[in-house]
Amino acid sequence: MAHPSRHPDWRVLLAVFGGGVVGTGLRLAIGTLSSDGAFPTSTLVINVVGSFALGLLAAASWRWATLTVRAALGPGLVGSFTTFSAVAVGVVGLVEADAPALALAYSAVTLTLGLAAAWLGLRVGGARRAVTERR
Amino acid sequence: MTPLLALAVVLAGGIAAIVRAVVSATFARRRGFPWAVLVVNVAGSGIGGAVMALAERADVSSDLALVLVTGFCGGLTTFSTMSVETVQLVRDGRLVTALASVAGNLTLGLGAAALAYLAVR
Repeated sequence: MAHPSRHPDWRVLLAVFGGGVVGTGLRLAIGTLSSDGAFPTSTLVINVVGSFALGLLAAASWRWATLTVRAALGPGLVGSFTTFSAVAVGVVGLVEADAPALALAYSAVTLTLGLAAAWLGLRVGGARRAVTERR
Repeated sequence: MTPLLALAVVLAGGIAAIVRAVVSATFARRRGFPWAVLVVNVAGSGIGGAVMALAERADVSSDLALVLVTGFCGGLTTFSTMSVETVQLVRDGRLVTALASVAGNLTLGLGAAALAYLAVR
């Protein structure tokens, strides 16, 4: 996906910051409130939901929204809501805890469901746009 | 969790999102491969692995580990951009690039977390 701007000005960076604060806050809240067992279910749900949301944004909202709104929602909110490092650290933790099968399952399920959710988001967003254009 | 700790975590996430946006803008001209996501994901995973090891040794408090790992590394790295960019590459018929991007993020990202963890532990 193209970045909102090649030379982000302070308004774009401020929007990214604001979105990043909210996205991180949502991820922190979900992680704190959920009681995961050995399997990091909350991170999985966050990454799958976020992939769907960004697919939807990339397909539908990218055209009507201003640069600042796009920066706040995409790279800011959804970009910070989802996380790759938590997956990486989680996999290392599972291997350390002598659960290599669970580590493999975690990475495979995250990747498969994440890609499927992104595809679905792009499709749903794209379909919505097509309907709007036909009118 | 104290409100102050939660505030520190989300502020770290916001700052990290700015860092990611700047990295993204830096690589925006290289359109052939999604470099920006790879760079932030490998860097964030490496920092995350190192902090996890430091926290286990009690060299880093659990509060600071939360700010650094959940806040900074979580905000710096992103999964959604990787998945959406990968699907877009596949749709454009660029299967090799899509595969290379996913494989690169997984091997280098997980590798960075594991190596940093083992090196610091």
